Amino acid sequence: MFADGLFTVFAVVSVLGAAGLILSRHPMNGAMCLVVTMISLAGLYGLLSAKLIFVLQLIVYAGAIMSLMIFIIMFLNIQNEDLPEEDGRYYYLLGGIVVLIPVASFLIKVVKSLPGVEATVVGNGFGGVKEVGLVLFQDWLLPFEIVSILLLVALVGAVVLAGKRRVNK
Amino acid sequence: MIQDYLILSIILFCLGILGVVTRRNVFTVFMSIELMLNAANLAFIAFSRLHESMDGHVLAMMVMAVAAAEAALVLAVVILLHKHKGKLDTNVFSLLRG
Repeated sequence: MFADGLFTVFAVVSVLGAAGLILSRHPMNGAMCLVVTMISLAGLYGLLSAKLIFVLQLIVYAGAIMSLMIFIIMFLNIQNEDLPEEDGRYYYLLGGIVVLIPVASFLIKVVKSLPGVEATVVGNGFGGVKEVGLVLFQDWLLPFEIVSILLLVALVGAVVLAGKRRVNK
Repeated sequence: MIQDYLILSIILFCLGILGVVTRRNVFTVFMSIELMLNAANLAFIAFSRLHESMDGHVLAMMVMAVAAAEAALVLAVVILLHKHKGKLDTNVFSLLRG
């Protein structure tokens, strides 16, 4: 099936991007790997017929947030000698994998017991802008307003933290 | 099948935990947290496809807003700490331990 092939491609690419993120030494390479992961996740959202989230993932996540991060990484002008030397990181990775494999296998066992449906495309405007907007402004109005306050607080906090210090005279 | 999406989400989340626990670069730790948020988003979307309700989409949008706020604050803090210490090592940033 065509959709299954697409899922396999996107899944493999996203896992490879995540592995590249935690293996690469320079944060710039890691950021590029994360962009690859986010774009393939956007493809997966499209396969799950979440059209609005597909667009938002591309514009907000892979576009805005990652470009902000890449901007900061380039702004700090990180040289190779500024990076922390992580000699034993492969041992740490090995230990982390050993710890995480039981957790992951338990979760996968839980997930396998769920009732499964075929991930076919749902019609009737499922996941479109109008439908999600109706749900957002009818059932989720208060969380939406709280999120707007959170964004305002984060904006003020970022300006206060990173802004120019006034010289005390 | 919807389980494949959930299994992929679990794998991405575990990779994010691995990045947070094992790496010492501030940027890599932060991007691993973003990876974990993305994995949670994928689980939300998969479950909302499973139940054919759109509450998961709304929650994914909320997670994106929280991630944007978090990115702005974390990058401000990183700039401040880089100005003070000139390093990106999380071991250097242990000010609160006293």
